[in-house]
Amino acid sequence: MQVKSALRNVFRNRRRTAFSLAVIVIGFLVLVSVLGFVQEALQSTKESLASESGAVQVASEGLFENTSSDYDYLISPETLDRVILEASTLDGVIGVSWQLNFAGLVGNEEGSTLIIGQGVVPCSDVQDYECIVIAGDPLEEMSDRQVVLGSALARKLGVVPGDRINIATGTVSGNFNAATVDVSGEMTYAFEDLESQLGLFPISFVQRLLKTDGVERILIGLEDLDDSDAFAAALQARLDAAGIPLVTRTWEELNASYESIRSFYAAFSGLAMIGIAVLVFFSVLEVLTISFLERSREIGTLRAFGTQRGRIFRSFLLEGAFLGVIGAVLGAILSAILLLSFNAIGFTWTPPGAAIPQAIQLRLGTQVILMPIVTVLVSTLLSSTFPSWRNSRIQIVDALRSI
Amino acid sequence: MGTISQFCHEQGRSFLEAQRLTKTYQVGGSTVYALRDVDFTAAQGDFVVINGPSGSGKTTFLNLISAIDRPTEGEVVVEGVSTNTLNEKQLAQLRKEKIGLIFQTFNLIPVLSAAENAEYPLLLQKLSKSERAKRVDAILGEVGLRDLARRRPNELSGGQRQRIAIARALITQPKLVLADEPTANLDSETGAQVMNLMRTLNEEHCVVFIVVTHDPAVTQYARRQIRIHDGCLQEGGAHDVVDTASQPAA
Repeated sequence: MQVKSALRNVFRNRRRTAFSLAVIVIGFLVLVSVLGFVQEALQSTKESLASESGAVQVASEGLFENTSSDYDYLISPETLDRVILEASTLDGVIGVSWQLNFAGLVGNEEGSTLIIGQGVVPCSDVQDYECIVIAGDPLEEMSDRQVVLGSALARKLGVVPGDRINIATGTVSGNFNAATVDVSGEMTYAFEDLESQLGLFPISFVQRLLKTDGVERILIGLEDLDDSDAFAAALQARLDAAGIPLVTRTWEELNASYESIRSFYAAFSGLAMIGIAVLVFFSVLEVLTISFLERSREIGTLRAFGTQRGRIFRSFLLEGAFLGVIGAVLGAILSAILLLSFNAIGFTWTPPGAAIPQAIQLRLGTQVILMPIVTVLVSTLLSSTFPSWRNSRIQIVDALRSI
Repeated sequence: MGTISQFCHEQGRSFLEAQRLTKTYQVGGSTVYALRDVDFTAAQGDFVVINGPSGSGKTTFLNLISAIDRPTEGEVVVEGVSTNTLNEKQLAQLRKEKIGLIFQTFNLIPVLSAAENAEYPLLLQKLSKSERAKRVDAILGEVGLRDLARRRPNELSGGQRQRIAIARALITQPKLVLADEPTANLDSETGAQVMNLMRTLNEEHCVVFIVVTHDPAVTQYARRQIRIHDGCLQEGGAHDVVDTASQPAA
């Protein structure tokens, strides 16, 4: 009967309950929106970083630690094949790619500037550059003398897709080498500094330019980025067992900035959660205090019949808990509808420095719903604790006298 | 209730004693006596009506003997045990097991049905659901409200509410029932019905009834009548009105 009575009491003053539920539900919706945005932003950042670096990379320790001299970190074609073989025996691999980078000069009749050249496998499942090409075409699968220039670099050189430019750099043996390539496209990049220096080339061209058949790193794409740590450890064990002197690094280890991004979003979410918890706490506290005080005579009656203070305290606390549960359930249902509708509309925005509008999505997941549920339940329970305790301590005679 | 027609074997045996009972309040730095040196005894089967004007100390007296308030001086002894020696928990236990209360404003719990209101004291006694249901059905039958068991208090008339309040007070088979102005919010006919019911239950269950009222019509139901004035008790003598059938029609 205690449960039944508490539930009925929740709906006793419907207007007041509606106000409390409205505060809880609005708080819930705000929190779900914030967490949904944060989760989506973090996931997009993860995917974006992993689309450049792969989920796991394999290379010489000297390359990762920046302690190599000259080109002694290069991986031979035989070792590359052995690593691919080892990786392909593990679960979750969606593709393997490899890279060879260089620094050199790029120029035409108008002038020259520095270029950071990335030799990549065109049309790879691991590195998807197609989506950042904003003019012209991406590298073709069988392409050779092609480059996709950073948009800022193309502007600096005054070239457009279809033009030709010259590339010059040192070979692995220290000699000078140069070549002419076609500009196939222009790409945008999150960091404008890099966009004014970056050029993507087919790796076969870069190998000829540097006069080597080696690669500097092997990139492995995984079905689930969250498996990266486990996969990297498993592959490392295989490499060690096979006597291959290379090491593995996950996308997270390779992108130290991700940790600070995640910390920022965690602080942002935490502040939002505290804000909503405080809002719910004080709103519900006020409503429950009035609501409980109005029932002083009932408390006096129940106490007069021999009800212990603990039972009175528990029954009022139960009302607070029911209010929180009902608010959380309503909040969860409404926020799911809100998020799905928002995502269906398909809002977009263009981030600073970017050329392509991006979709704003709010992620709907277990964590996004669970955290607001915990927040509203805890704050509602806390806010009902004090009035419940105070009401359970009221003197019977005073309680019976109240109107 | 299993004792509907039980004969009151213990009639006359002392159940409750109040000795030199005093209750004072501090008002603006001075001491106000709500009750002063009151001695009182109630025996099994008693039906005591205490009357007096407003502010004379009737409710204070009732609060003290029902163990919901503590005296400033003196003591209340229930079946040989002084309530002064009991802590909060033990007082609650005493009320739960031995005392039934009826209030002027009925004090029913609005969110509970008539049956649930009557059942509430049994929940504190940890009886089985079937035993509770049996007792609720019996007591509602006794107060004539079995058909209205599912109704909420706001769906009942004043008289019906007070009957439910009486059922609630009696369902634990207490030895003492205290009623504070039980007819104050009822019309005279309904008031008479309620008082008749209380007298019948007093006789059938051998329960001590102490009724506080300022309604002169209630005094005719008393075996004993006591007048309270300025916090002092004056025994008004015994009445011989045991035959409830001669009372105003129920």
